[in-house]
Amino acid sequence: MLIHLHFIPQASLALREGKVSPVDLCRKCLNRIKKTQHLNAYISVTEEQALIQAQEAETRLLKGSPKGLLDGIPFAVKDNFSTQNIKTTCASRMLKDYTPPFNATVVQKLLDQGAVLLGKTNMDEFAMGSGSTDGAFGPVRNPWSYAAPYRENTGLDPNSDWVVTGGSSGGSAAAVASLTSYLALGSDTGGSTRNPGALCGVVALKPTYGLLSRHGLIPLVNSLDVPGIITRSVGDAALVLDVLQGVDVKDSTTILPQSSSAHIPEDVDVSALCVGIPKEYHAPGLSMETVEQWSRVADMFERAGARVELVSLPHTQYSIVCYHVLCCTEVASNMVRFDGLEYGHRSEMDSSTETMYAISRHEGFNDVVRGRILSGNYFLLKQSYEHYFLKAQKVRRLITEDFKHVFNSGVDVLLTPTTLSDATRYSDFTKEDNRTRSSQEDVFTQPVNLAGLSAISIPTALSRRGLPIGLQLIAPALQDKRLLSVAQWIEQRVAFPSISDFEEPIEGSERCLKIREHTVQSYKTYYSGCP
Amino acid sequence: STVGLVNGVFAASYTVRSGENKTSHKCLGLSELPTWEPVSEEQLPPPSTVPLDLVDKLERLALVDFRTKQGLSCLEKAIRFADQLHVVDTSGVEPMDSVLEDRALYLRSDVVTEGNCADKLLELSKTTVEEYFVAPPGNIPLPKREERTAMLKDSEF
Amino acid sequence: MCGTRPPTALTPRSYLTAPRCCLCLCALQITIRGRKWHKMIVGIIDQCCSVCLCCSSPHKLVGVVGLEIHAQIRSNTKLFSASPVHFSSPPNSLVSFFDASLPGTLPVLNKRCVEAAVMTGLALHCTINRKSLFDRKHYFYADLPAGYQITQQRRPIAVDGVLHYNLMGGQKKNQVVRKSVHIKQIQLEQDSGKSLHDDLRSQTLIDLNRAEGQLRVDANVSVHRPGEPFGVRTEVKNINSARYLARAIDYEIQRQIQVLERGGTVQNETRAYDSKWDQSCYFAGSRFMPEPNLPPLMVYDDQASLPPGLDLCQAVVVQEIRDTLPELPSVTRDRLVHTYNILPEHSFILVNEDGLVEYFEAVMGQTKMNARKVIGWVTNELLGQLKQRDQSLSQSPISSSVLAELLELQENGHISSSVAKQVFQEMWGSPGKRARAIIEEKDMGLVNDTEKLHRICQKIVDSHPEEVNAIRNGNKKVLNKLMGLVQKETKGRADPVLVRDILKDKTS
Repeated sequence: MLIHLHFIPQASLALREGKVSPVDLCRKCLNRIKKTQHLNAYISVTEEQALIQAQEAETRLLKGSPKGLLDGIPFAVKDNFSTQNIKTTCASRMLKDYTPPFNATVVQKLLDQGAVLLGKTNMDEFAMGSGSTDGAFGPVRNPWSYAAPYRENTGLDPNSDWVVTGGSSGGSAAAVASLTSYLALGSDTGGSTRNPGALCGVVALKPTYGLLSRHGLIPLVNSLDVPGIITRSVGDAALVLDVLQGVDVKDSTTILPQSSSAHIPEDVDVSALCVGIPKEYHAPGLSMETVEQWSRVADMFERAGARVELVSLPHTQYSIVCYHVLCCTEVASNMVRFDGLEYGHRSEMDSSTETMYAISRHEGFNDVVRGRILSGNYFLLKQSYEHYFLKAQKVRRLITEDFKHVFNSGVDVLLTPTTLSDATRYSDFTKEDNRTRSSQEDVFTQPVNLAGLSAISIPTALSRRGLPIGLQLIAPALQDKRLLSVAQWIEQRVAFPSISDFEEPIEGSERCLKIREHTVQSYKTYYSGCP
Repeated sequence: STVGLVNGVFAASYTVRSGENKTSHKCLGLSELPTWEPVSEEQLPPPSTVPLDLVDKLERLALVDFRTKQGLSCLEKAIRFADQLHVVDTSGVEPMDSVLEDRALYLRSDVVTEGNCADKLLELSKTTVEEYFVAPPGNIPLPKREERTAMLKDSEF
Repeated sequence: MCGTRPPTALTPRSYLTAPRCCLCLCALQITIRGRKWHKMIVGIIDQCCSVCLCCSSPHKLVGVVGLEIHAQIRSNTKLFSASPVHFSSPPNSLVSFFDASLPGTLPVLNKRCVEAAVMTGLALHCTINRKSLFDRKHYFYADLPAGYQITQQRRPIAVDGVLHYNLMGGQKKNQVVRKSVHIKQIQLEQDSGKSLHDDLRSQTLIDLNRAEGQLRVDANVSVHRPGEPFGVRTEVKNINSARYLARAIDYEIQRQIQVLERGGTVQNETRAYDSKWDQSCYFAGSRFMPEPNLPPLMVYDDQASLPPGLDLCQAVVVQEIRDTLPELPSVTRDRLVHTYNILPEHSFILVNEDGLVEYFEAVMGQTKMNARKVIGWVTNELLGQLKQRDQSLSQSPISSSVLAELLELQENGHISSSVAKQVFQEMWGSPGKRARAIIEEKDMGLVNDTEKLHRICQKIVDSHPEEVNAIRNGNKKVLNKLMGLVQKETKGRADPVLVRDILKDKTS
């Protein structure tokens, strides 16, 4: 693998300087996808089209007129984003043959910049889940299961004891973590981008609600959904955000960004920063290792002169309940359109319209989806509407107010864990049902969606089991640029390794040397942040 | 071996690191204890049951079936989970539809820019007749629950 | 079902009861999708009230009816998508991805529709809500692909208006009875597609171009004993014509009465009226939820209340729309009565026909003829001809100036009124021919030749000695008979005033 081309600016430079061609880069990624097929990160790989796009990029680069930094850069997209003439399944039997006639706005923007679409990534069915284990095309495996640290520290065989990626954008996170793609789009409703980002050791950004267009994103919860950006560095995420943000007339919930985010300052002065540590995020089930990482980074800030304060978000523990009710009710509404009539799976049994609908939906949806639809319908009944739905809407306001209050009192960003612990083994993960798992896994991430704020997960270290641990930064709405600056500051100091550091050398000793050099360099950087 | 060296470096560095972490940040304290506890059963109102006629009504409204007893127990658990909301005092609080409640809706000008793509749309459907989508006869109500269960057994999956 | 709205939300402001009536028209809720609603709404209420007046019920339970009227807005594109609005286009040709409810597509509101809704609200004397919200109303129907309809239930764009209208009442049903009905609210709402039922192949064909028909009605029906609170109401949808409206309401009232008399309870539900089967059947309870993809709709009172920095194409300003409102029907009617001294019932006739007010006023401006006489011409002759041929005023071959010319000829004594009517019919059959030409051609001018008239009168007098005696004995009315005979002789061309004088003279 081209180690020195891990990040978008480097790859872009190499492409523009002719050191590597877009077609070559594309082929390398496609080969790597084939090599990592056991991860099941992709539902569709669009090899032919990708090579065509790469060829077009090549032509442009040879002429010296690239469209921008993303020209020729391979990317992947979660399979709930509409892609023109490419199957968009949401990992569901209901849409297994659905081929949209249009591109989602964010996909179109990337294509307009010359980026090369490699394929559609795997996920939980209709984005319902936090493990990427409940899709019609099978679960996604965390690439770190196959890396040396996990194998050696636990002594387990990844083929039987692989760990989950987290979800629901597990395929996208795995694609970026396993180096098959430079960036991937996920969706984030309650943490579906940040959760797998943390468990797979990659950068996962959930921008402010309304900053990125949702046109073409098949919705889970319209009032919470945001397209998420997954990359290997904060700088890459900033670059992609800049390309994707902006008002879209096709989406009435989009808002104007405050500024361009393409270039975040190389070195942020944190002495003027106030970092809040919300005490309620020390939740039941939080692993000791995650607490340690949380302390470690808080320490870093304080040593650098930032003000680090304990703050309170009193309604935190009810946030997940609120999210659960609002999610189910919107799901009940959003899923009504899947009846097999205009598109999607249609049952053969059609004695009447209603029978046809009911059976198509029985055949097309998995238990998780059906369960949420039924719960949502329950909450929307006249007898429950005020008691559950309106109540949840009121609690949502309280949660939003909690954040407002804290940010208004001088706190610039909040530092929290992203997940309770490192990734769970699949065999353990499936012991609990989907809803229970989600309620555990999403505890730190969904309050951000309820309040529409901006948040990012960055990997900070490997756990004792050799698996990534990530931390989350939360900023007020429209402060995405500052969020990214602070995130980059942390990234520069934690020196999280790349998965490629643990790969078996494939080609010759020169490559091994490169690995060692890179590792030693990282090692030095790693220690530079310590006293 | 080189690989061993790589691992050795990292393993070693990690051990050193975690040693340092024992002195946790003052904000978080040394304690492993979380700052809150899950809501206990006593705090909740009595659990609601879902009677059979409500099951039938929900299946008709949602046009989705429970399939098994497990499906019904999943619903009851979901309702129980949601019951925790009632511990929260929301007096005087207005419901929140969305974070965009203070924004004004975008108004599009009345100019034609879409449509005229019947062929693309009809391609997506399994059953069309000339330029129409086709539905079976409508307004025939769903059969009774027992019949429906039998029908589902016969279906594809 | 709407969770936030209590089941008995109708507030009667105007309580109409005729002696044997068991229906009370309580409130109107107008859902704006469109066009020439006013005339049609009046037509519908009229129908409804005539049902009122003819049905009787021995039960103490009476029906309470609210109407929800759906009118389509005349705009280039649809409410939430930029696909075109025409009628009679090839199936599904006017459908966008959003209209087909492809997943991931989102609604985008049409400004023109907002303006139309505000205009309608102002015309019906409503309060315009500065901020209004959108909701989803869920129900399953093949021509509703998303499974829900975007509407404005909770907080619509306009509320609390009033519609004044008339009924022909009184003993002989020839008296104009002024009525008014409370308009509960006006809301913007998505339209559905069209289904064609193909019974032969047992299938339904779905065309997602919008449903045709300028006006559709849903009725909310409940029953109660007067003095007691309102009963649970059901909504009967899918009524395609005013004709079926009465039957559907009737059926539903009877059904509810039967349910209650059996000891059952009426369910709050939505029923579809199937005109073919003439019965309503339960098809789904509708649930409401806020529409998350549409932030609040803001309209502004006037230029001064616009927030700074707002793009002017984004501003809907109520005052500006108020300024462009055409004269409202009730104002026009009052003005016509006041200016021309015509009867109120005449003003209704003028206002209810497109363009007739302008026509009438144009005629009045070009003739000295008395307004009430002109009314007679316009309502009997002109409208008569049009109705016979099922035509509208715009298709009339006789323009206002041409008619005015004819009326002047009558006023000036050139022709008698009966001749004028004949000329009118001639002109209708030969468009372009002017009155003078026809009169000359057919020699229809009034005979003023006194000598000739004397001769004819003498002839009549001589041949009717009995009648002459009757007149001489005091029975003046018989003179009319002699006049009629003279007119017959002259083929209606005699100047009636002159004839009367001559006859009086000869019979004195």
